[in-house]
Amino acid sequence: MSDPAIRVRGLAKTYQVPVRGAGLREALRSLVRRETRPVEAVRSIDFDVAPGEVVGFLGPNGAGKTTSLKMLSGLLHPSGGEARVLGYEPFRRDNDFLRRITLVMGQRNQLVWDIPVIDSFDRNRAIYELPAERYRRALDELTELLELGDLLPKPVRNLSLGERMKCEVAVSLLHAPDVLFLDEPTIGLDVTMQRRIREFLREHNRRTGASILLTSHYMADIEALCPRVVVIHHGRILFDGPRADLVARFSTDKTLIVDVADPEADLSAYGTLVAKDGGRSTLRVAKQDTPEVTSRILADQSVLDLTVEDPSIEDVIDRVFQDAAAPEASPSESSG
Amino acid sequence: MRFLRLLGVFTRIGIQSDLAYRANFVFQMLESTMNLVSALAVVALVFSQTDSLAGWRAEELGALVGVYFLVLGVLNLVVAPSLQRFMEQVQDGTLDFVLTKPADAQLLVSLSQVRIWKIVDVLFGLAVLLVALARLSAEVGAGEAAAFGLALVTGASIVYSLWLFLSTLAFWFIRVENILMIFWNLYWAARWPVGIYPGWLRWTLTLIVPVAFAVTVPAQAIAGRLGEATLVGSVALALGTLAFSRWFWNRGLRRYSGASA
Repeated sequence: MSDPAIRVRGLAKTYQVPVRGAGLREALRSLVRRETRPVEAVRSIDFDVAPGEVVGFLGPNGAGKTTSLKMLSGLLHPSGGEARVLGYEPFRRDNDFLRRITLVMGQRNQLVWDIPVIDSFDRNRAIYELPAERYRRALDELTELLELGDLLPKPVRNLSLGERMKCEVAVSLLHAPDVLFLDEPTIGLDVTMQRRIREFLREHNRRTGASILLTSHYMADIEALCPRVVVIHHGRILFDGPRADLVARFSTDKTLIVDVADPEADLSAYGTLVAKDGGRSTLRVAKQDTPEVTSRILADQSVLDLTVEDPSIEDVIDRVFQDAAAPEASPSESSG
Repeated sequence: MRFLRLLGVFTRIGIQSDLAYRANFVFQMLESTMNLVSALAVVALVFSQTDSLAGWRAEELGALVGVYFLVLGVLNLVVAPSLQRFMEQVQDGTLDFVLTKPADAQLLVSLSQVRIWKIVDVLFGLAVLLVALARLSAEVGAGEAAAFGLALVTGASIVYSLWLFLSTLAFWFIRVENILMIFWNLYWAARWPVGIYPGWLRWTLTLIVPVAFAVTVPAQAIAGRLGEATLVGSVALALGTLAFSRWFWNRGLRRYSGASA
């Protein structure tokens, strides 16, 4: 097996955050004496990302996702532990390292506002010192995949949010990086454009074999792109594994949708009745009871149709974060 | 050379982006013309009363006005807008894009913006300087010209270092635009040779906000009234301030990434 593209061991980051009481007096006092208190944004996390792997980094706001991405892209100096990306220590910000990674932040843009998109591309070409031939090839490929043809000559200020994001993604990939750090790349986009970006990322990953570490609040992004997810909460890893296992591990219920011939039939004895519409009842049943309940329904009722569903990944994630109040719930602790 | 190639690309982008706002060219012409005319008018007024001001003759003071506009133009062309943008980037977080680029961050933030219309001040400054030189022609030899060039470069380096130092404070205090206003108010005073000011102000303009090196010293060089010691001292100061501001910048970067905390 080859070396991991990203290797993280015991990585931690503690910020010194200024504290200040409310009111004018406190504001004046803080001018003279600034008090700070440590905030542990990331507390000793471990994970690897293999070359070519796409990993979804999940967590609520303030979980430590962005802090982790910033440490891995060399913007923040870790307060503890070790991170290696492509064999480099990111915080040294070695030019050879920076040439091989990229950072896309959905909330911020690097394109120059007043000039045509193509000139911003040219700016990055100069900064990355890309040879003309290589730049041309990258530009052609990105233009084709993202359908940028009409956008390139337009000033950035004339683009819609979705168009701008396509260009942001493209400008970040001109230098053909081996590792992509994507911080909420689809935030604020409409559903069609989200899908467009997603499809592009999947295709790009297939063609180039670049590793992707992606954060998103949209589960659709994660479901479309990430076979593996890392869930982080309060700076700790709660889960690291295949996406399907996340649902299996954290969901305690299944949903049964049962159609029976008799619209008056009452199925509430079999589980929690969530909805009833004529002969169709939706029941929530504990996972371990599902086989037994299913066979009882099939035996007792004249069933027209019956389906068993896992809860949506959104519901599962929501539950993970609610359960996470207790730190001992962290399954990754032992591996540190 | 890396520096020149980047400057070339940023200049081209700056021209394109400024061309999008053509009205600014007209406003810049108006502003520069008014500034220059008022500056020259005051010089003419002074020399209608006297033949020399603190030892400076009219043509020499004309050269000084030329240098003043030249340096002002160069500052506003690249240094001021770039470092202004840098301070905004610290506030809005887009500095992260600069720091993930495989190029020296100080170089990138110092060159990132080129406000091409400010070239008007540079051209006006050069024109005034050339006219003044034509009148002084008999007295300007190769030595003076070389000393002038050197003094101009060292003066610009000193002012750049000061700007970088002040901008770098943004890493600690986030909002530091007001500090730069102090610089502009004192730069205004450099329209006159520092020798005419009372001692405390002269020292401030020489040592604390060293605009004297950017304007008075090059003008002295072209007028052939610059001692070797001052020139050597000026070069030494330029090297010192460049090194110090570089060191301070790196400290600021460490602070930004939380490495020093």
